[in-house]
Amino acid sequence: MSTVIEMKGDRPGMREEFETTDMALFVRTSDESMHDWDRQRIVDALLRETYVDVDTAKEVAREVEELIATSKIRMVTAPLIRELVDTKLIERGLEQARKMHTRLGMPLFDVDQLILHPNKENANVPHGPEATNLTLAERIKKEYALLSVFSQEIADAHMRGDIHLHDLGFIDRPYCSGQSLEYIKRFGLSLPNSIAMAKPAKHPEVLLAHMVKFAAALQSHFAGAIGWDSVNLFFAPYLVGMSDRELEQLAQMMIFEFSQQAVARGGQAIFTDLNLYWEVPKHFEDVPAIGPGGEVTGKTYSQYIKEAQRFAWALFDVYLEGDGSGRPFFFPKPMVHITEKFFRTPGHMDFLHHICEVASEKGNTYFVFDRGETAKISECCRLSFKLDQTDLEDAKQPWKMRYCALQNVTLNLPRIAYHAKGDDTLLFSKLTEFIENAVKAHLEKKLFIEKLLSLGEKGPLALLAMDRDGSPYLRMHRASFLIGMVGLNELVQIHTGQEMHQSKQAFKFGLKVIAHMKLLIDRFSERYGMRFLLEQTPAESTAYRFAKLDLKYHSPKSGHAVKGDISRGEVYYTNSTYLNNSAVLNPIERVRQEGLFHPLIEAGALTHIWLGEAKPSKSSLANFVIKTFQKTQNDQIAFSPEFTTCNLCHRTSRGLRSTCAYCGSGDVDGITRITGYFTKVSSWNKGKIGELRNRYRNQAFLEESEGKVLLNS
Amino acid sequence: MDGLKEEGMGSLKIFTKAKCPKCPGVKEMGIELKKEGVPVLHYDLDTIEGLAEASFYSILSTPSLIIEDEEEREVISWRGVVPTLQEVKQYLFRGLS
Repeated sequence: MSTVIEMKGDRPGMREEFETTDMALFVRTSDESMHDWDRQRIVDALLRETYVDVDTAKEVAREVEELIATSKIRMVTAPLIRELVDTKLIERGLEQARKMHTRLGMPLFDVDQLILHPNKENANVPHGPEATNLTLAERIKKEYALLSVFSQEIADAHMRGDIHLHDLGFIDRPYCSGQSLEYIKRFGLSLPNSIAMAKPAKHPEVLLAHMVKFAAALQSHFAGAIGWDSVNLFFAPYLVGMSDRELEQLAQMMIFEFSQQAVARGGQAIFTDLNLYWEVPKHFEDVPAIGPGGEVTGKTYSQYIKEAQRFAWALFDVYLEGDGSGRPFFFPKPMVHITEKFFRTPGHMDFLHHICEVASEKGNTYFVFDRGETAKISECCRLSFKLDQTDLEDAKQPWKMRYCALQNVTLNLPRIAYHAKGDDTLLFSKLTEFIENAVKAHLEKKLFIEKLLSLGEKGPLALLAMDRDGSPYLRMHRASFLIGMVGLNELVQIHTGQEMHQSKQAFKFGLKVIAHMKLLIDRFSERYGMRFLLEQTPAESTAYRFAKLDLKYHSPKSGHAVKGDISRGEVYYTNSTYLNNSAVLNPIERVRQEGLFHPLIEAGALTHIWLGEAKPSKSSLANFVIKTFQKTQNDQIAFSPEFTTCNLCHRTSRGLRSTCAYCGSGDVDGITRITGYFTKVSSWNKGKIGELRNRYRNQAFLEESEGKVLLNS
Repeated sequence: MDGLKEEGMGSLKIFTKAKCPKCPGVKEMGIELKKEGVPVLHYDLDTIEGLAEASFYSILSTPSLIIEDEEEREVISWRGVVPTLQEVKQYLFRGLS
């Protein structure tokens, strides 16, 4: 509740108490008590919050008091007083003091709108009281971040839309993370501030309960995704002797528990990624397995391959069935790692067909390609960490394998091209400037998070500071700092006159831009001893925001470059390094070409294959996956079908329709992948709606004709 | 030697990095072949141009060599391995025999 000051005209007896004016005001403060007007409070606030001297503070307070008195306002609010004080500070040229004295908050109208209408910045936030709380808190923290955490230069770059600082509303948390189940298997569930401590789980259902609760606790400490490594393998020691029915039940519990967490933060489902392996990853083969009660079982993980495989299979049985009305599960996302060893592990073709059937029917499967000796853990929309030698040492004690990305900063690449006016030198020097700003933003956020972490288990990030194994849960020295990009395709289009899919020269120019970014951030990594990585930003709202801002600041040029429908306001830039969504390209060619960028983008990359209504056979998708692994450098692919689900008869049909295919009702929701996850189309922002209209859906390539699968050709 | 080039000799693309033990040998090979009139293009992966070109050809390790025909179609490549000068010449001049 904000502080409210009312004219105390109905209490004349109070007048004598004020020495300088005849003003009679009540001050209703935020602690819900009433205070009489006291000029000294302005002085106190100025001395407490700013560096102004006492005399100036007194002078300002007196002037404000006079202003209020002479204005004959019947009712004033505390924010108004604060603003009046700020105008006096500005009159004196005390800009820094004004900034320090700023009040954060929201206009009444905005709060009203927020409570009544859904937030479309993140389609994973439903609309309800919890979501409103989240959005309100985010708004204040966002202002706080821009005023207090980041320097003016960086805040301005964000406001202008040169760069986008992601998750400003979660400024006091790292971005996203990768977890190991081994941590809770070994240490149980013992969270700081929790009123009960649980010992390590003895039964698989309890381990699952711990995992879900820990995920919820982590969700309230990270802005983005919570990824879990080798879930089927780490569960395996608990699954010995379980029947198929019991295993299926456990798999169902896991998926439903994570998909129905709409009671967690802001009513959001926990953005959960399950990393799954058909084989036992090489780095875990000889690691002693931890089983019930947190005890080592005396076996190594390679001896649990059967249980791990059965569980992975059961999870995909559940995905194939879908939820209670046959819809695909939005979360948790299954990421299957395809490695050299995968193809050497017996039964891999059956499993590949199984997960490809799910990909075709429901779209859930993400295929993560770890070629050569690379081992990775994937999380967030497409963030992955390649494990280096130190990580592989950690793998011997897998509970240590906890990773995070501290922040993501995205560059508005088309903006750089508007500035460059066709001049290469200008383009690359502007690009350098934008990257320098992104690096500076990371340094500033790092400093802030380190400040919070330094307060240890008594501080706001107690969970991340907790120490159960000799190092804090959040291992800052292993943190990554992400630099993303939006609209490479449009940068190339503006600068060279052609989009990337239109000519080899244009495509190569795109590679040059990303090569420049990669070489530069490597130098910054060396300079600061930090791990800066390029990432394909999911850019769910950033692609829309940048396009809108550029239409404002760089018209008419931007009018030719932005994608979507300007008349409807459904505008966007092509995400990250993608080729134009509407370009008619053979999907394997798209996967190959987009994949050429992936080795440069170390924090993970993904190519979407939009299926639309098409439902290719599992064998044709399996063939596609194998080809992608063997013949391209693509890091990750996902097939995305579209669905219409009826709110009346609760049945789900293929394709996006305006009415239900079964009962004809118009009360339907479209479902498909927005960026890195499935969600209802009705919750999308305008930019993504524009992109959805343009997506080339590959039908022609995916349909089987005359018994021949085109993908096989 | 110029005459050889006109009759449709392939071109050689060499990809190297500064901190790469086997790269100096390949660079020398490139200089040698250039003297013989072979169109040799040298790309350093520590530069923007070099890294972009390497990415285009999915070059992930150095040194790497690619021989292309006149229409820029790949004839053969060695990735992360060093062929002998003889092997390279064999593919470069194969079209002439």
